[in-house]
Amino acid sequence: MKAPIFFVIIVAVIFIGMDGLYVVNEAEQAIVTQFGKPVSDVVEPGLHLKIPFVQKVNRFEKRILKWDGDPNQIPTKDKRFIWVDTTARWRINDPLLFYKTVATERGAQSRLDDIIDSVVRDAVSGRLLVELVRGSDYKAQDSEAERFEVEGVEVKKEELVGREEIFAGILEKARASTPEYGIELLDVQIKRINYVEQVRVRVYERMINERKKVAAEYRSEGEGEKAEILGKMGRELKEISSEAYRKVLEVRGAADAEAASIYAEAYNQDKEFYAFLRTMESYKKSIQQNGRLIISTDSDYYKYLKDAQ
Amino acid sequence: MQDWGRGPSSEDLEKKVIEIKNHLKNKFGPQKGILPILFVIFLVVIGGYSSMYEVDTEETGVVLRFGKFSTFSEPGLHFKLPFGIDQVYLAQTGRVLKEEFGFRTVTPDVRTTYTKKGLEEESLTLTGDLNVSDVEWIVQFQIADPFKFIFRIKDPVGTVRDIAEAMVRKAIGNANVTDVLTTERAQLSGEIEQNLQTTLNNYDIGIRIVTVKFQDVTPPDPVKAAFNEVNEAEQQKESLIFQAREQFNREVPRARGEAKQALQEAEGYAVERINKARGETNRFMALLTEYRKAPNVTRRRIHIETLEEVMPRLDEIYIMDEKGGGLLPLLPLRKTMEGGAKQ
Repeated sequence: MKAPIFFVIIVAVIFIGMDGLYVVNEAEQAIVTQFGKPVSDVVEPGLHLKIPFVQKVNRFEKRILKWDGDPNQIPTKDKRFIWVDTTARWRINDPLLFYKTVATERGAQSRLDDIIDSVVRDAVSGRLLVELVRGSDYKAQDSEAERFEVEGVEVKKEELVGREEIFAGILEKARASTPEYGIELLDVQIKRINYVEQVRVRVYERMINERKKVAAEYRSEGEGEKAEILGKMGRELKEISSEAYRKVLEVRGAADAEAASIYAEAYNQDKEFYAFLRTMESYKKSIQQNGRLIISTDSDYYKYLKDAQ
Repeated sequence: MQDWGRGPSSEDLEKKVIEIKNHLKNKFGPQKGILPILFVIFLVVIGGYSSMYEVDTEETGVVLRFGKFSTFSEPGLHFKLPFGIDQVYLAQTGRVLKEEFGFRTVTPDVRTTYTKKGLEEESLTLTGDLNVSDVEWIVQFQIADPFKFIFRIKDPVGTVRDIAEAMVRKAIGNANVTDVLTTERAQLSGEIEQNLQTTLNNYDIGIRIVTVKFQDVTPPDPVKAAFNEVNEAEQQKESLIFQAREQFNREVPRARGEAKQALQEAEGYAVERINKARGETNRFMALLTEYRKAPNVTRRRIHIETLEEVMPRLDEIYIMDEKGGGLLPLLPLRKTMEGGAKQ
């Protein structure tokens, strides 16, 4: 019966030995407690020894952790209700303090809820919506037209700050109270800012009206340009036709004048003969078909007529 | 990522030890010689099985020995120390990972289908002029350092999502709605990419942003119609202008042509007028030359020629005698010739 006892002892030794060994991996940090009392510094990754059964290993995340806030409905300083959704990164930088104060990640999350929510709420309700949305280097399209009022009192542009500054303020304030829990807050980001439903409907209405205004402007511009083009066309048409009229008359007039001078020059050679020819010509032209002719017996005409017959 | 509050190594070891103990307790005694052999075989099988692992083509393995970083392993078959002494974590370093915002791919295919349902909160974004735009975008990133990716942050992908949303809202909050919808998209996405990378670098979590790209950037649904109306009005404006230009182009050149026509006609008239004048005066001059040679004869000839031409047209010719004072009807020549008398 020697061998079985030997085996049992070996197994027991192994079993006890195993509890004296522990592994901390790269994602973890640990502290060793003895009956609840911390007895070690922060333990780094690797294989370590402890007193079996007496000491206990408490492991904590070493990695960066995420805090995600509930979206909150907060009024801004200019009384606009908005949803603000915040997110933050944090890590446990003093596991011992962390273990003493909040013990678990869940505890830490709820502590962070309290801290960050209130800081964000203060920051949002103390600022105008534009300050939360815009950065400090925002350039307005029509900066002259913009006015900001809080309860009838105008807020000057120079007094506005950008969101970077507000966020920096939030982080600084929230950071101030986390070290007492062994927590390091890396950053706080506002993930979403949005209008609450009722406000959103009104914003949509405003956007629609603004778009309609732009559309009307386009249409009127179109009409205007059309009228301008047609006006220009009318002017050109008048210009073209009147100029043509003038030129036509000038050309005709010049021709008439030249013709007149040609005639005059020729006919002046023998006015009497010209008159005779013109008379003859006019007979040819003026006597119609089936007309009557009355001739005096002493006229040349009669004489010629007699001769002709 | 799985939760690692408790490393699996020690638990596994404990379990195995308990198994071995039970095994020994039950089997020890009767078959003395076989037991140790079985025990050794058992260890070899377990050890052999748990000391091999595979790294896929697009992966990198991170090997921890007793929880402490030991080495990276490349794609292929590898050996490690068994019984949880070495642990391997795989990260898809070769792959470009993608996160979608404001929409989700339902079935990626030739014709990919998307859904937007319930994602309005993610995509609706305030612009600097306090309007709302509906923004969809993607972020592509790669794991640059698998160790940091796994062991520096608990939820790296969730972090990429959170920071990407914050950065997109920051960039869009700095622009005006019309710019966001039209011109500044490319510039904005560049800015977001840079901010996102800078922030992630501060965390030092081994992520490299490949690209940030806007997908659909549109006005919110209730406002879309109004935006379309603006586009329509813009088109209307263009079309009104084109109409006017068309009319202009139709009428003005025609008027120019007509003006030219009138001018040509006038010039034609001028040429005709002058030519006629020349012709007529030339004829006159020719006649005059002849006339001067024999005035009376020519005069009579012309007279007679005229009468010859005129007489046949006449129905009746009356001759007035100065002395008699009566009106003598001359025979109506034509009637006679036609052989009919007229009453």
